[in-house]
Amino acid sequence: MPSPNAISRRSLMRLLGYGSLAAGAGASLSACAPPTTASNTGTAAKSGELGSTLNLATWPNYDDPAVLQRFTDETGVRVNVQVFGSTEEMEALLRAGNSGIDVAVPSQYAIPGWIQSGLLQPLDYDKIEVDVSGWNKAVVDQEFDPGNKFTLPKHWGTTGMIFSEELGSELSSWAEFFKLAPTLDRRALIVDHQISSIGSAAVSLGLDFNVGDEKGLGEVEKFLKSIKSKLFAISSDTQPGLRNGDTWMSIAWTGDGVQVVRDNPAFKYVIGKDGGEIWSDNWSVPKDAPHAEAAWAFLKFIHQPQNAADNINFSLYPHADPAVTAMVDAAVRDNPVIYPAEETIAPLSFATAETYNSPLRAETWARIKSS
Amino acid sequence: MTSTARRGRSSAVAAGPAVLWFLLFMIAPLVVLFVVSVGVRGPGGGYLPGFTLANYGELETRLVPILNTVRFSLIGTAVTLVVAYPLAYYLAMKAGRMRMVLLALIIVPFWTSMLIRTYAWIFLLGNNGIPEVLSTLGLADDLRLLNTPFAIVIGIVYNYLPLMLLPIYVSLERIDPSLRAASKDLGADRLATFRQVTLPLSAPGVLSGCLLVFIPVMGEYLIPVLLGGGRSYFLGNALADLFLQSRNWPLGAALAGSFILLMSFVVVGYSRLTRRLAGPLPTEGVL
Repeated sequence: MPSPNAISRRSLMRLLGYGSLAAGAGASLSACAPPTTASNTGTAAKSGELGSTLNLATWPNYDDPAVLQRFTDETGVRVNVQVFGSTEEMEALLRAGNSGIDVAVPSQYAIPGWIQSGLLQPLDYDKIEVDVSGWNKAVVDQEFDPGNKFTLPKHWGTTGMIFSEELGSELSSWAEFFKLAPTLDRRALIVDHQISSIGSAAVSLGLDFNVGDEKGLGEVEKFLKSIKSKLFAISSDTQPGLRNGDTWMSIAWTGDGVQVVRDNPAFKYVIGKDGGEIWSDNWSVPKDAPHAEAAWAFLKFIHQPQNAADNINFSLYPHADPAVTAMVDAAVRDNPVIYPAEETIAPLSFATAETYNSPLRAETWARIKSS
Repeated sequence: MTSTARRGRSSAVAAGPAVLWFLLFMIAPLVVLFVVSVGVRGPGGGYLPGFTLANYGELETRLVPILNTVRFSLIGTAVTLVVAYPLAYYLAMKAGRMRMVLLALIIVPFWTSMLIRTYAWIFLLGNNGIPEVLSTLGLADDLRLLNTPFAIVIGIVYNYLPLMLLPIYVSLERIDPSLRAASKDLGADRLATFRQVTLPLSAPGVLSGCLLVFIPVMGEYLIPVLLGGGRSYFLGNALADLFLQSRNWPLGAALAGSFILLMSFVVVGYSRLTRRLAGPLPTEGVL
């Protein structure tokens, strides 16, 4: 379970038992996609080199269908969208081999494992014609893929806190969040995701977001168990509680923050000044991609500023290329939830592959929930 | 001699598919479950072969979900019974020509996905739902319903009502009206007739309805997540975590296996008891 974007992916899909809906959504999305004109003679020559389809493994509401259609119009390659519910699911498919996926969008913490297992091929920068040297340093050239050899950040975001006016006080740090939460009678929510919730609680206790040792995790476990009865819920479905007035303060991901604050200005989305999570979902090309040439063409197309900007206006997640930022709708660009200031995100940490894979963290989280 | 032998052979052939089915889909998974439960967790999750009983020693860390499951299943079944019995009684005895319409009204909502129907309760029980209505009417102030044990019980009763209602309805409907007429003729009042004639005759329906509700509720996953806010975990939630999030298959298998064993004892004990009380149940052989 990766990057924290839309509600649909995080909560409903999990409830439906992961795959079943993903399969359904994938099927219905591709069914909804405008039929590709096979008789498009003008592009016949091109589609000969690139093939006729591209299989894109991505998340719900993450790609503007109009942009994908433009790619099809330009190249004759039809984009077949497969929507996933979690990074684990995507990973299971790739590891099984012959997935047929040409472009995948894993969350950053899965990437080191994928590179190590040889699931990805190095990006062909000659063909995609992208230069990341001017991109936002907060998301390129990171430890999970030094020099961006295998991946390029598509969208990125944060894990912050949402609170309403009803709360009566302003939050600015995780320390404040977790101090206030147990003083209320079931008004605070933490998400059902070990990376975000254990990490944020760890930050509030003065520990590292990626804490992984037994002592540190033990401290977090003891603390979260002690406040559990005072929480409203442990759930990734954050929006209904906030919108109905049941939840007054909540851990939340960028996507939920944007939607809740947009619909109700009485809410605020704040990033902890003492730290917390920054995440990214990243373009990558599997080693066994059946249409690698189409994948390179697609990555070239999707990074042309106008196309990337249209995609952001649709998905409401930021991109790392300043040339793109300049073309994004002003309302989106100036929204501090979508584009937080540089100094705001400075204290944040990416979840590492160890944090994602750690049996100890997973067990700790399972024990907290089962307490 | 020959004919008996042939008959034996042919009945063995006839039983073949059932036996095969049983071996393949019942015994084999249980064997796999047991083998995994004595193995060790792989470094990246999953299962590595091995032999250890340590996983069974760790079961106590999941004691809370186990107790939650048993407690909510018992309470949920009892409340469902209390709600379903009068309804079934009304349908069978009093509804007359409206009976089929009412039955349809009860059953048709269940053609919608359980997820959607349960999700709707989030809004009904939440701040802007029933509590708001009661507060406006001045009946209750600051009532909190969502993500409470009460909400979980509501979810159970709502979702499992038909499983309780239908067996009771069938057993009530089968009662020969002349038996109750005779009871009346012999001087019994309505309450005595109900207690001494109707209730004992509907016992098989009640007992099998209870079993039909109790068992699936023990495996419930959705209701504690949606209406309990993930605060009162059931065994199903603990298992989903172990297999899908912490990827600790051996502990998950040990937990699932122990629970299946416990359930088998409960079900066998229950059917022994009920057979003594009410004769073979309609569900016997199914469960």
